[in-house]
Amino acid sequence: MADVLAPLAGKVWEVLVEVGAKVEEDDELLVIEALKMENTVYSPSAGKVKEILVKKGDSVEDEQLLIVLE
Amino acid sequence: MRPYFEKMPAFGKALKENRIARTQDSRARLEAIEAEIAAAKKAQEEVGIPTAKINERGGLTVWQRLEYLVDPGTWQPLHSLYNPADNEEGTTNVVDGLGKIGGRWAVIIGFDNKVLAGAWIAGQPDNILRVTNLAKRLHIPLVWLVNCSGVKLPDQEKFYADRRGSGAPFFRHAELEQAGIPVLAGIYGTNPAGGGYQAISPTILIAHKDANIAVGGVGIVSGMAPQGGFDVAGLEQLIAVTRNMKDKPPGSVSTHYDATGFFTRVYDEEKGVLDGIKEYMGMIPAYDPKFFRVAEPAEPQLAPGELYNLLPINQKSDYSFDDILARLVDGSEHMEFRPGYGPEVYTGLVKIDGMLVGAIGNRQGLLPKGYPEYADYPGIGGKLYRQGLIKMNEFVTHCARDRVPVIWFQDTTGIDVGDIAEKAELLGIGQSLVYSIQQADIPMMLVVLRKGSAAAHYIMGGPTANRQNAFTLGTAATEIYVMHGETAAVASYSRRAIKDKDSGKPLEPLAQKMNEMAQKYFDTSRPAYCARYGFVDEIVELKSLRAYLKAFAGASYQNPKSICPRHQMLLPRIIKG
Repeated sequence: MADVLAPLAGKVWEVLVEVGAKVEEDDELLVIEALKMENTVYSPSAGKVKEILVKKGDSVEDEQLLIVLE
Repeated sequence: MRPYFEKMPAFGKALKENRIARTQDSRARLEAIEAEIAAAKKAQEEVGIPTAKINERGGLTVWQRLEYLVDPGTWQPLHSLYNPADNEEGTTNVVDGLGKIGGRWAVIIGFDNKVLAGAWIAGQPDNILRVTNLAKRLHIPLVWLVNCSGVKLPDQEKFYADRRGSGAPFFRHAELEQAGIPVLAGIYGTNPAGGGYQAISPTILIAHKDANIAVGGVGIVSGMAPQGGFDVAGLEQLIAVTRNMKDKPPGSVSTHYDATGFFTRVYDEEKGVLDGIKEYMGMIPAYDPKFFRVAEPAEPQLAPGELYNLLPINQKSDYSFDDILARLVDGSEHMEFRPGYGPEVYTGLVKIDGMLVGAIGNRQGLLPKGYPEYADYPGIGGKLYRQGLIKMNEFVTHCARDRVPVIWFQDTTGIDVGDIAEKAELLGIGQSLVYSIQQADIPMMLVVLRKGSAAAHYIMGGPTANRQNAFTLGTAATEIYVMHGETAAVASYSRRAIKDKDSGKPLEPLAQKMNEMAQKYFDTSRPAYCARYGFVDEIVELKSLRAYLKAFAGASYQNPKSICPRHQMLLPRIIKG
């Protein structure tokens, strides 16, 4: 299990994975728009996407849970 | 020092499948811009009299001369699209670049004899200034293919006079020679007045049998005495004098080989002149590249073709700079300097063609939490903060001490702003970097990968702010401006917006004005514009970038003014700890 948290407050620009997808460490999971940039959030470890808690356009807070990996 | 350099730590990650899929559109857009630039360069080569016609007259074009002169596969053109004065000819009428002649690097420049017989035209002096500066900074020979009809007389006011006017190359040649940098000239055709000085100012003059060089040509000699205007009788007299002069133009081989001896050699064939240059290049001091190599040359382990999937054309997208650099350097190996400090900037030693080079570049994306340490706001790559600025100062200073040339890679939005940043001394430390670079006295080059913006464009090895920058390259993703167009529009019109709102005026006209300003910023910051007006010295395809880095490294180490024994270098020891 691994929780993917928002590294900073911003808006979800793009979700790049689906529930059930297998991911490797450092795979691109989603993009958060903040500080005028589209910032990629990477997978902290290999695993499977168990749950995605945000969708495109959502505002997120710093350290908000975005994705759960198993 | 073999343990340090023979096998450095590997870096850079393999490209992920999902990134390849995600970046297809970006890759296609980069390649489309590269295709447009390539088409513009091709069109530039074909301006003027067709090649076939020049060949029918028994001559070669400047391009054909270059092809014969330069070692195959080594020509790295510069200023291909440079035309800062918007000449109708679409060119500054000189062709230049870095190339090897007989295995040795030289800065090579020639007049385009297809256009106005190689005349001086507007913008050309600045082009030549860049070229003489390049030879000076790299300390390598300058080779001229002189074929210059002199001033394009109808436009003389645009370039004849002024501090940086067309006469400047003459003293610049003297300056190079006084610095021990030879200037070789292959001389063709008729070279009167300005063309004459272009031909006489180099160190060794090698002429074609039909060449002539003179203080003034037929036109000047016959028109020497102004008589208050022109009439038919005067024209008859002029025609008679000119006909006579045409039979024997001043400064021919019989004068400047037989009588004055200015010409060192004269050849019957055009190619013979080029053979003469090759022979003289072989007489000029140059180290064997092996002398300075710290390891055998090696191609990058990671494929340079993947650069198109790594550098997003979308200026807001982040990426890994380390992954880009790993695809440009030997073996995808490096020694990173202070990796835990100033995380917005990469600094490290890499090898290019087996030679040691310092690399500096902006990292992109989110920075570690708590950075910058002086502020309560998050840090973002592309921007410069206190630690990054200090780190670059240190790295440049160490490279200078160890006589290691530096390659800068810019993709920067600027230096952190606001009173917190001021208290963190960023203004002062930024200017310190200008001082450190200027103090360094080592060759540097710059690649503007994507954004070159605000003062950061100056201080990160930009050509505007130092004398060490040999040349600057751009890519299909390059954009250079003081700030983003929308930011500039807000800075210019925000108060006006309040005034208009408070006085009940409609806001649409102001919004239109702001959109026009943002569009102008966009139009005047694209790669073709940057090349045309000299913000960069060339726009280069991503897949060709490494060839330019190799040219820079090879030229920098060919005959350096100063050297540091590798076993006396400090920087590798500081990195090792």
